[in-house]
Amino acid sequence: MPATETAAPAATGAAARFFTELGRSGRLPQLGTVSGTIRFDIVDGSDVERWYVTLAKGDVSVSQNDRESDASARAERALFDGIASGRVNVVAAMLRGLVEVDGDLGLLMVFQKLFPGPPRAGDTER
Amino acid sequence: MTGDLVQILEGNTFVVSDRRGDIEASSTDPTGLFSFDTRCLSRWVLTVNGQRLTPLSTDDLQYFETRFFLVPGTGTVYVDAKLSVIRERSVGEGFHEELTILNHDDAAIDLDVRIDVGCDFADLFEVKDALAKKGTYETRVEDNQIMLGYRRDTFFRATRITASEPAQVDERGLTFSAKIEPHGRWTTDLDVVVVIAGYNESRDDPTHESDSKKRHPSLAKGLDRWIDHAPQLESTDDALRQTYRRSLVDLAALRFSTRTMPNRYLPAAGLPWFMTIFGRDSIFTSLQALPFMSELAATTLLTLGERQGSRIDDFRDEDPGRILHEMRFGEMTAFEERPHSPYYGCADATPLYVVLLDEYERWTGDHKLVRELEYPARAALNWIDEYANLQGNGYIAYKRRNEETGLENQCWKDSWDSISYRDGTLPGFPRATCELQGYAYDAKVRGARLARTVWHDPEFADKLEKEAADLKRRFNRDYWLPDDEYYAVALDADGRQVDALTSNIGHLLWSGIVDRSKAKSVVRHLMGPRLFSGWGIRTMAEGEGRYNPIGYHVGTVWPFDNSFIAWGLRNYGFKEEAAVVAEGILDAAEFFEGRLPEAFGGYLRSTTKYPVQYPTACSPQAWSTGAPLLLLRTMLGLEPAGENLIIDPSLPASVGRIELLDIPGRWGRVDAFGRGRVDTTKLKSRRR
Repeated sequence: MPATETAAPAATGAAARFFTELGRSGRLPQLGTVSGTIRFDIVDGSDVERWYVTLAKGDVSVSQNDRESDASARAERALFDGIASGRVNVVAAMLRGLVEVDGDLGLLMVFQKLFPGPPRAGDTER
Repeated sequence: MTGDLVQILEGNTFVVSDRRGDIEASSTDPTGLFSFDTRCLSRWVLTVNGQRLTPLSTDDLQYFETRFFLVPGTGTVYVDAKLSVIRERSVGEGFHEELTILNHDDAAIDLDVRIDVGCDFADLFEVKDALAKKGTYETRVEDNQIMLGYRRDTFFRATRITASEPAQVDERGLTFSAKIEPHGRWTTDLDVVVVIAGYNESRDDPTHESDSKKRHPSLAKGLDRWIDHAPQLESTDDALRQTYRRSLVDLAALRFSTRTMPNRYLPAAGLPWFMTIFGRDSIFTSLQALPFMSELAATTLLTLGERQGSRIDDFRDEDPGRILHEMRFGEMTAFEERPHSPYYGCADATPLYVVLLDEYERWTGDHKLVRELEYPARAALNWIDEYANLQGNGYIAYKRRNEETGLENQCWKDSWDSISYRDGTLPGFPRATCELQGYAYDAKVRGARLARTVWHDPEFADKLEKEAADLKRRFNRDYWLPDDEYYAVALDADGRQVDALTSNIGHLLWSGIVDRSKAKSVVRHLMGPRLFSGWGIRTMAEGEGRYNPIGYHVGTVWPFDNSFIAWGLRNYGFKEEAAVVAEGILDAAEFFEGRLPEAFGGYLRSTTKYPVQYPTACSPQAWSTGAPLLLLRTMLGLEPAGENLIIDPSLPASVGRIELLDIPGRWGRVDAFGRGRVDTTKLKSRRR
């Protein structure tokens, strides 16, 4: 298990659930060609909940401990909760300037496919 | 695009201006500086003492830089040739223009030099469809700098224009007072920088100027290296050599890279509308270019694999395993008024992805990449049966789930009226066009080969081979029109045959789904007077209800389409027919100085004598640029066989002698030689 338990701010809510589940997912073959670390900053008033996701050719690890990153994305908590639950499309939000991004945008474009799709009527899967 | 516009580009940034270097865009006019699918400059007009200028000459130095030589005045007689004006423009992330005025007179001169600026920040979709803006504009004037901005909620785009010389700046432009000594010169640098909210908005960007200057040596070197690495063509046919070189240079220009895929280049679809990732176009172009530059295929496979669909999203017509159709970054995508973030509504790119992966392996032997891409390839194969079987009969069919802004026709002929019955009526949805079944068959056959030889999964290979054989058997039963002896263009929602005669049947030969016994009839139709115009095979046969020689997909001749049909003709042993098609398209290329347009009219060659360009066709267009390359491969009969390259030329007599030297592949580099021996006139007259 990655060191999510060292989280400083209370890591609850959709974002925390998303990253914690991601950390438990083990191998993700759909990301088999990419490597790098992305830092996510989830802004909640004056607090910032920070998550690092490291991709290594299909292996994923998640942590809240400081490390070097190749790309970063920063968003308000309400927005990020929407992204993590599939109600908000992250690419469109990025283009509207609601997700502030920096660094290797290629990494972010690949990572975005891990977010769920929009909820559908009669959808039992999610 | 009309011929009098100058286009320079780098990645997804490009400039379209007139021959003076000026931009005066209207809402529907495609001129301007475009970046990230947004027009970032719609007005850029130079005057000297209030006068517009006249171009003496325009040099396209490289595809990313242009030099305009101008004199003041607009008449046919140059009243004042004592001044020369030079605008040297290069594109990076925005553009840089060095403006120089030379005084040829013995007296000093004082000039008012003015650049008018303005911007409508139109989304490419808005330019295309003439839509109105929803946000507000703002302009900020500073020392030697003007910032044009556009805001809609949190969406913000801006263009910052900075001059190196002192300027008087107002909201509509910059004015310089230039005093030039006798035989002296005056110069200013003008930098146009594109600002995107959420990305580089808050940064100081004083480095742009040096950045854009630094970039050019590597771009220039990149182009030289690109041409050096490609095989060399020697031929007695000067026009063919010109077409080949044009193709290489245009393909280099159409290589597309953005900050969302750093250090990657894959073929974008075309200028100006399609400077973005397109699944289908990138795959077809990579297939055409494989014998010449396999790295386009490698980056296309990687990039499309990484962006493969992963979830069900009706707005984007996304499914797990589906290969994307089109990616856009403009305002309408941002506000989900268009689904291109990315949009997945395309039924052919997914099977074609597997086809390209296998063809790439056959040429390069790059097992490492084929292993890395095993997951997306399997997911693509799974999509065919799991998500595309919309009619429940085992065929790939399409029906958009995004009813508002999704694409109706999700095959390469994606205009609304491309698929019809003979009497012109349109079938309902879902539609299962015939070439999709060919691609699915080929994907299964090739997927099986990769499963056996690279992924070491013989069970999966057996399964795919069985499915392929079954698909071929059913297809030849369900799509064949026994009285007419060709394949229906589609099955409609009720499984009924859509019976118009179209070029789609040519793609079936390429895919190998055609029964040997039926091939001859298919070829008879393709080369017959209803489909073959003398320049090439029409998208739809003359005599069909919707036939129109200048209808986008209902009668025009598409060079890309013909290049794949020629490949199919070769695959079934119709070498001479392939040579006839190749000759027609290459002859047409001569009329466009080697740059084939997207499409030209389906008029009979003997009537018009020259190919009539389709009115709004894009140029250069990637898969038209790739067509001569695939035709060369076809004429020379290049076919990888294990570690060897088979060369079996069948060239039209008019081409004379060809040497294609240093063809790269798993065999190292080999040369191919051929001499034109096919008397195409005989064959053509026999067909009439």
